[in-house]
Amino acid sequence: MGIALKVDLIIIAGLALGFGIVFAVFVSALVSTRALLTTASLEAQAGVMYEAIKNFMLPGEAPIAVKFLSDLETRRPDDNIMLWRRFGVAAFSDNETIRRVNANLGKKRFELPAEPRTAAAASRPPGFDPAVANPPSEVAFREESGGRVFFRIYRPLINLPKCTGCHGSDHTIRGVIDLRSDITAVERVERLTLYGGGGGFVAAVSLLALALGSFLRRVVILPVKAIGRLCGEVAGGRFEGRVDIRGGDEIGELGATVNDMVRGLHERSELTKYVSTGTLSALSGGQESRRVDLTVLFSDVRGFTAYSADRDPELVVGVLNRLLETQTALIGAEGGDVDKFVGDEIVAIFAGEGAALRACRAGLALRARVEEAGTEFDGLRIGVGIATGPVIQGMVGSAKRADFTVIGDTANMGSRLCALAKSGQIVVSEGTRNAAPDFDFRGPFAAKIKGKTEPQRVWLLEGGMKP
Amino acid sequence: MKGPGARRLPLLCFVGALVASCAPAPAPSLLPPDWGNWEKTTDLVLNYPIPGHEDRLRVPRMNQVGFDYLARRGRGAGTWDYPAGTVIAKAVYASKAPAKGEGPVQVTAMIKAPSDARARGGWLWVARDLASGKEMVFTGEFCFTCHENANESHPYADKNPRGEYRDYVFILPGAGPEPAGKEAGGADSAAGEAEEYGSKP
Repeated sequence: MGIALKVDLIIIAGLALGFGIVFAVFVSALVSTRALLTTASLEAQAGVMYEAIKNFMLPGEAPIAVKFLSDLETRRPDDNIMLWRRFGVAAFSDNETIRRVNANLGKKRFELPAEPRTAAAASRPPGFDPAVANPPSEVAFREESGGRVFFRIYRPLINLPKCTGCHGSDHTIRGVIDLRSDITAVERVERLTLYGGGGGFVAAVSLLALALGSFLRRVVILPVKAIGRLCGEVAGGRFEGRVDIRGGDEIGELGATVNDMVRGLHERSELTKYVSTGTLSALSGGQESRRVDLTVLFSDVRGFTAYSADRDPELVVGVLNRLLETQTALIGAEGGDVDKFVGDEIVAIFAGEGAALRACRAGLALRARVEEAGTEFDGLRIGVGIATGPVIQGMVGSAKRADFTVIGDTANMGSRLCALAKSGQIVVSEGTRNAAPDFDFRGPFAAKIKGKTEPQRVWLLEGGMKP
Repeated sequence: MKGPGARRLPLLCFVGALVASCAPAPAPSLLPPDWGNWEKTTDLVLNYPIPGHEDRLRVPRMNQVGFDYLARRGRGAGTWDYPAGTVIAKAVYASKAPAKGEGPVQVTAMIKAPSDARARGGWLWVARDLASGKEMVFTGEFCFTCHENANESHPYADKNPRGEYRDYVFILPGAGPEPAGKEAGGADSAAGEAEEYGSKP
């Protein structure tokens, strides 16, 4: 999973969690507030109804209660107000109560209506029982009926001691006040709010995730990717690229630093064409002079002065560069370090384990490659000299221009041996031959070397290691 | 027991003990345990039907705090105001005429605790089922709205003819038998009849 996707997921998760909690709290508060308000409103109405009925009935003014409920029923049909007897029959729907009251009082306290009423069949409302139990409970619930939604409460009417004179003492609950509130529209608004809020929440989270993701992608992800690509190019040896990161923030500073670093690496890479690896190493690892044992290889083009005298300079430089390029690669393949080019001559150094052996292999490779080249190097041939022994290694030159190179007897010997070598010959010192005895040498030959009083024993390297 | 089950047993015991220790402790009973030893407030035989208690025999008792107040105040006319800590416990039997030695099935109690948020009219209205030990406090209208009638003229005992404020108590402590013929099975029964019934839970 890429960092961009991870960041996007983190952003979405964070936003969903944060906004989700807020939204859930909001919805929960909305629904519970509505439920509380509805319940409180119905309870208040039920309380008013209770007191009204109680105060109509106690002074014996039951007809007022009947008229009151009748008016509510006819003039406010949407209020859904009902009064039930404890058996689930609508109150005042027949003359049964009047007969009972008159019987309890032992007199005709209330006249029976001229038009006899017949109670409708008992239609006990749902969830009625707790309201008429002993002790009773107020009941509140939500119900759906005829495609509409109602919130409904039952408020028990208690048979108070003062009521018993008319109604008797044999029961605890006189009846139940039944109030219904149509909450269809309220729930619709709730749903709309919920869906609208949910949609807004999803949209807000998506937009914010997109915006934040885009911002992070532009400010962080893309610059990081660009830096990664540039590092890949640098690792592949290409130093031309740069990252285009603007801005004064940390990422901008990082981009500028990376560009400076690549520029430096490019310069260092370019420098290796003109400066030996040893010089570069010395620059980074210390420039102290030291005496070390190593092998030096000199390779020089035979007859180059005559060759270059009557040829086009561009041709001469082109051929020479190809030849030097080829030799440099072969020397490098054996772990040698080209110390310097002196005109048509190469000075290479082999250090470390098997230095003489690797130098001999490189010399043979140079000779073989040049002799097999045909016209590639325009017929030019080389002579090679190899010497092994102690040298002084250090920065040699002026304060403004210096090389980390080798000097001393071994270096001179290598140069002289190269001068001795005829076209196609590889002349090595006694030290080199002793250090790589398994090669095919011819000699020894006594050679008069400039700077040496006695003739020196030298060898011609003929071929590879003897079987 | 061997095997994994044996190894798990201590763990299960520990978890069980932990769960049990986390369960909410039952609320302490509001009704003092010695309520059955308190003095009765009346010799009236209260087995006539009334809303809420129907026609089951009821034997009210009151704690010493209430009787101390009675001793201070006397039984004269005027306002009644029981002190906080007064408890009137009404033993309710299963029937109108329980068998000899039969105990009550329920206690309904008025506990004077004006500072308690659940109190209505200064009293906590408590019912305790003696079989299950379950106790509940009525915070709604049920007990309160009936006993509110005690503070005005009502149909019971002396009927509070002057509408004195009786602090929600219908039967004044020490009230004598009701007039003959008031309620079926009421005043005609011999005073002290309730004495024959056990009151202790």
